[in-house]
Amino acid sequence: MPEFEPITGRYMKVSIKGKEHRVFVEEAGQGIPLICLHTAGADSRQYRHLMNDKEVTDRFRVICFDMPWHGRSDPPTGWWLQAYELTTEDYLAAIEAVWRALGVERPVFMGCSMGGAIMLRVASEFQDEIRGVIGLESAAYAPGRYNEFLHHPAVHGGELVATYTWGLNAPQSPEAGKRDNWWYYAQSGPGVYRGDVMFYSFDFDAREHIRGIDTSKCKVSLLTGSYDYSCTPAMTEAVAKEIRGCRYTEMENIGHFPMIENYELFRTYLMPELDFMAAD
Amino acid sequence: MTNFPDEGWMEAFRETVGRDPELAVISKWFDVDMGLTFGERRYALRVRKGRIEEIIPSPRFDTRTQFQIRGPMDLWKRFLSETPPPLYHDIFAMIMRVPEFVLEGDTLVAMQNARALHRMMSLMRSVGKQHA
Repeated sequence: MPEFEPITGRYMKVSIKGKEHRVFVEEAGQGIPLICLHTAGADSRQYRHLMNDKEVTDRFRVICFDMPWHGRSDPPTGWWLQAYELTTEDYLAAIEAVWRALGVERPVFMGCSMGGAIMLRVASEFQDEIRGVIGLESAAYAPGRYNEFLHHPAVHGGELVATYTWGLNAPQSPEAGKRDNWWYYAQSGPGVYRGDVMFYSFDFDAREHIRGIDTSKCKVSLLTGSYDYSCTPAMTEAVAKEIRGCRYTEMENIGHFPMIENYELFRTYLMPELDFMAAD
Repeated sequence: MTNFPDEGWMEAFRETVGRDPELAVISKWFDVDMGLTFGERRYALRVRKGRIEEIIPSPRFDTRTQFQIRGPMDLWKRFLSETPPPLYHDIFAMIMRVPEFVLEGDTLVAMQNARALHRMMSLMRSVGKQHA
């Protein structure tokens, strides 16, 4: 018998802001829906260890999708006539469209990096309809990652982006996890990481919105790695202070990509938050 | 670490770079002239195909380099420590978050060679171990 992993991947047609998209969705497990968002310039392969973790998939239906333009999801028709630059509005619209199309009720959302940032807006926008959010490396405001070399004709974008983000891993993380993430980054489309960083560095500012999150309706857990210099522990702590009832833990010896750089260590921090989310 | 950053340490760095199997794979086009400043100690490096061909200590101003990386000694020591603290564990982390650590000159050339340059700089930590 072939050694298949328990992950199933499919393509889904979904309308986002009136435009048809072809989005890649993969999932594993049964139970409480847990919808996961990848980092900037990457794709849902970053969650492969989570989707292979039986202790998680025994009680969660883990659903991960590639954002449009990322991984195995296509950009919309006519993409060649626009520069890809993600906005907060577009990001929220894509997440909501995929979630509604899946037809799942009261999901938990989890996202990392820019996905962790948008979790704060997912919580503020949809708090009446979701169980909670787990923000990995979440900042309410995070300028500073942008530079023009990220998409430049004289630079190999894939190699630069992958190398530029390498240092966001903790030095203690296993070589294999860091190298996997490097490879995923190197495979992003031209200018996609730049377009994501534009959202992260310029458009996104949730400092006001987080004050409106009611954790009695929507639980909030925040986890940030001690070696993350893009979203530092201090930046997440500042968010946690603004959300009453929010849980926050700094993850020792982890960087900006906990689910892929060092899953074995990350899961020791994640499991208590999944328990928290599952409890009624 | 006692010899960092004297000329003997730089020679050991050159050897470490020269026998790195990963650089051998990725550095076919890694040809740069670059400056390295450790506190008050300055060097110019001529890198060809990923090998450090020449190390010029205390270069005169007519020794031209394309880009330079400089920082005070205490930052380099943190970077080279066995378990570097957050923000000091990677050159891109320091360039972004530590104002006294500077990449300057033709930064485009540095970024064109980011993968090999980053690998070479990270190998400095291996030299530190040999001299610890």
